[in-house]
Amino acid sequence: MSADKQKQLEDAVFFTALNIGELAQRKFFLDQACADNAGLRAAVEALLVAQAGAEHFFTKGRSALRFPADELAAVVNGIKDAPLVDEQLGSQIGPYKLLQRIGEGGCGVVYMAEQERPVRRRVALKVIKLGMDTKNVIARFGAERQALALMDHPNIARVLDAGATETGRPYFVMELVRGVKLTEYCDLNNLDTRQRLNLFIQICHAIQHAHQKGIVHRDIKPSNILVTLHDGVPVPKVIDFGIAKAIEGKLTEQTLFTAYEQLIGTPAYMSPEQAEMSGLDVDTRSDIYSLGVLLYELLTGRTPFDGKELIKSGLDEMRRTLREDEPRRPSNILTTLHGTELKATAEHRHAEAPKLISILKGDLDWIVMKALEKDRQRRYETVNGLAMDVQRYLNQEPVLARPPSRWYRFEKLVRRNQMVFALGTAVAVALILGLGTSTWLFLREKDARREQAWLRGQAEQAQKRENELRQQTEAREKINLAAVYVSQEKYEQAAQLLDEVKTPPPKPSFDGVSAYRSVGEWLAVQGRWREATERYLALMEIDKLDKWGAVTLDYQACGAVLVESGGLAQYERFCRATIDSFITTTNGDAAGRILKTCLLLPVTESRLAQVQPLGVAAEELFLPQDPKTFPGWAAIPASLWRYRQGNYDQAMEECRRGLDEQDKTTARTATLRVILAMACQKNGRLEIARTQLACARSTVEAKFASGVARGDGNLGFWYDWVFARILLREAAALIEPPPELPQAAVK
Amino acid sequence: MLLLVTRKNCHYAETNMSEITMILQAVARGEEKSSEELFGLVYEELRRLAAVRMAGEAAGQTLQPTALVHEAWLQLVGSGERSWQNRAHFFGAAADAMRRILIDKARRKARLKHGGSQARLNVDDLELAESSPDDNVLLINEALEKLAQDDPEQARIVVLKFFGGLTNLEVAETLGLSERSVDRHWACAKARIFSWIRSQ
Repeated sequence: MSADKQKQLEDAVFFTALNIGELAQRKFFLDQACADNAGLRAAVEALLVAQAGAEHFFTKGRSALRFPADELAAVVNGIKDAPLVDEQLGSQIGPYKLLQRIGEGGCGVVYMAEQERPVRRRVALKVIKLGMDTKNVIARFGAERQALALMDHPNIARVLDAGATETGRPYFVMELVRGVKLTEYCDLNNLDTRQRLNLFIQICHAIQHAHQKGIVHRDIKPSNILVTLHDGVPVPKVIDFGIAKAIEGKLTEQTLFTAYEQLIGTPAYMSPEQAEMSGLDVDTRSDIYSLGVLLYELLTGRTPFDGKELIKSGLDEMRRTLREDEPRRPSNILTTLHGTELKATAEHRHAEAPKLISILKGDLDWIVMKALEKDRQRRYETVNGLAMDVQRYLNQEPVLARPPSRWYRFEKLVRRNQMVFALGTAVAVALILGLGTSTWLFLREKDARREQAWLRGQAEQAQKRENELRQQTEAREKINLAAVYVSQEKYEQAAQLLDEVKTPPPKPSFDGVSAYRSVGEWLAVQGRWREATERYLALMEIDKLDKWGAVTLDYQACGAVLVESGGLAQYERFCRATIDSFITTTNGDAAGRILKTCLLLPVTESRLAQVQPLGVAAEELFLPQDPKTFPGWAAIPASLWRYRQGNYDQAMEECRRGLDEQDKTTARTATLRVILAMACQKNGRLEIARTQLACARSTVEAKFASGVARGDGNLGFWYDWVFARILLREAAALIEPPPELPQAAVK
Repeated sequence: MLLLVTRKNCHYAETNMSEITMILQAVARGEEKSSEELFGLVYEELRRLAAVRMAGEAAGQTLQPTALVHEAWLQLVGSGERSWQNRAHFFGAAADAMRRILIDKARRKARLKHGGSQARLNVDDLELAESSPDDNVLLINEALEKLAQDDPEQARIVVLKFFGGLTNLEVAETLGLSERSVDRHWACAKARIFSWIRSQ
């Protein structure tokens, strides 16, 4: 029996027995109920025995819940700054004798203490501030203890012990480091940028060592890195390993609300995923982010976001900032400082202000920004990678970190706005971009499960398929190289490399996926449909496993490419599979994209029946929108669906709702005009049909004549234009038979 | 509710009535962000009420959680609101806020009382008969964590009843249970929690 069921049973028997006042009867009942279950009997008896005491215990507890208003006020106001009752100097905590108070940090007070046994030595003893659930803290520490013991690095202060004080607060014992806070040391000694970077590299090595032992620090910040002098040489020491994890535990949203200030101190060093507390596991890449902040501060004297501002802005806003706002580049932030401030910052770095700015500009900017990526997949993969890039900079070799390409920046904008929309904020922005976001939310949930399953399968297969894996590795390398080419905008080379990859490996790197997308687009824009088809079909395979936000955009592009390349059988297969995997979506945006993609060519009755749920979802998204705002993108799937159904009145009505008569430049208006023209023709409104068709044609032709670039979400992406052109051909054949489509449009 | 999430500043005390109504509706739709926001609002309101009480003539008067929670309800939502669902969410958040406050108070008490001397809140050798009311609160709170793992619903009932001071009827409305099941769970939870504490 599951523990769950067992408890339910115990509760049921207990409660029934409790309500049988007469003891003999109660015993009889228990004999019956627990006839063959001695464990149950014992558990219920225990509950019955506890019951009388429980009433008293709870009543007494309740009496503590009545208290004077001033006490309440003291509590609720004092949580933040309640004076900490100091441990008495000279007193004993476990085997440690407190000698001297040496500091107070975000989450506790640090003492110098003397250990008597088993060895006599001085240690640092940190008492955690909050009266937390001491037992759990210590238990969590215990879990990490073995791993912590494995760490042995000259730049790491060892954590030796943990326990509870007399007053029930958790404490940690560490190797005593007599040093100064990293940033303070650097500024006091006016270390120049190179010297600072050299210290930073040492810190990276320490963190890398810990990562290799499976320990994530989680709280890297200047006050946790002390610099000591060994024979005049500065040696940074990272302290507090394992403590953040122990005291963070599983903070719930609610405890976080009031507790994060005390627990975590400044959020300035917190990675977006840490601030999110979303249950997303915090891993080594979080430390990389914090190292990025540290480097930022070493270089500029500022953190990317001001810690105090973050706290002041409240939890939600803080999360939003960390998740969405792009920090200024290090060189750029210096230019925003006032004259004297800038001068001081530069002097502390042994440089003139203009010199300092020019030092940071370029490579160092990009190294820092790569470490600070919001998406942890885009950060350096390891601390070592970060350290190596810094080293390359010092050796004057080219660094790996690169300024983001224009296309990449656009992608990022799209992704960011999806996040915004996910929070239900910038509806307007999302409309402009024509992107749906619940798509993203909807897919994310599925992702986790898929990924889990995939990982499991992968592990099992790994043993069997060494050979295949080797090939995959080669493919992966090619794809990664292609990604590099894409980042340099050398599309031809990238296309060639990807062409050599016969079967793309499952789950290529994030950059690799983008490479497929970028190359596919580049080929499509050039009209190289066959190659584009292959890239897109590969991308579809990848998307099945690794769906990112705008995945339905990929489907849309793929559908257009397949039709345009003339691969009608492939298009048919694609539609079938696509409908299958999205049929249950209740998300209007996703439904709309899939729907119009699958209705791009005339369809059969059975296909129409199949897409019914998508049509309903798409219409539900579209119809409530205010016609004045010209919800054009949403009108396309809805009206096209109605048109394909033969419901021409409804199709016309919907086209008109979404149509902006003034607009002569966007793919969405052109597409709506085409649909409207076809619907009018079928309804016998021949004059209107011709006018609308002509209007749409001139827009589309002008676009293709001027050259279709990738485009954007406002005027239309390239595939939106291809989409419009395909429908335009259909409409022309319908309205102006015999087909005499202008050659320019069918190229 | 869409706009709420983006509010630039979280000055909960300045929140007006319609805002909390919107938050409550968002909570009803299951939006997690809003629960957190609601908790923040209620917590701030409780804090504000306490400050007002302390400054006014009523200083020194004894407060009861139930009364305070109801007062916060009137302050924030007003007497006109009749939706049971809204009330339920509100009281849920209020119970959480009270729990937090009460635990902090108990810890503070324990700290002041023990102040570094030899006394300690350690169940190993704590005589339950001699435990102070504040100790009881802390022990119950700790045991609740364990109960929440075994039976989250039962643990929730304890939070609402013990910390929120809700009646069985109110708890039943809040959780969508019958009054009788609330009664049963409450009795079972008390016995179980106490048996754990005692056997520790």
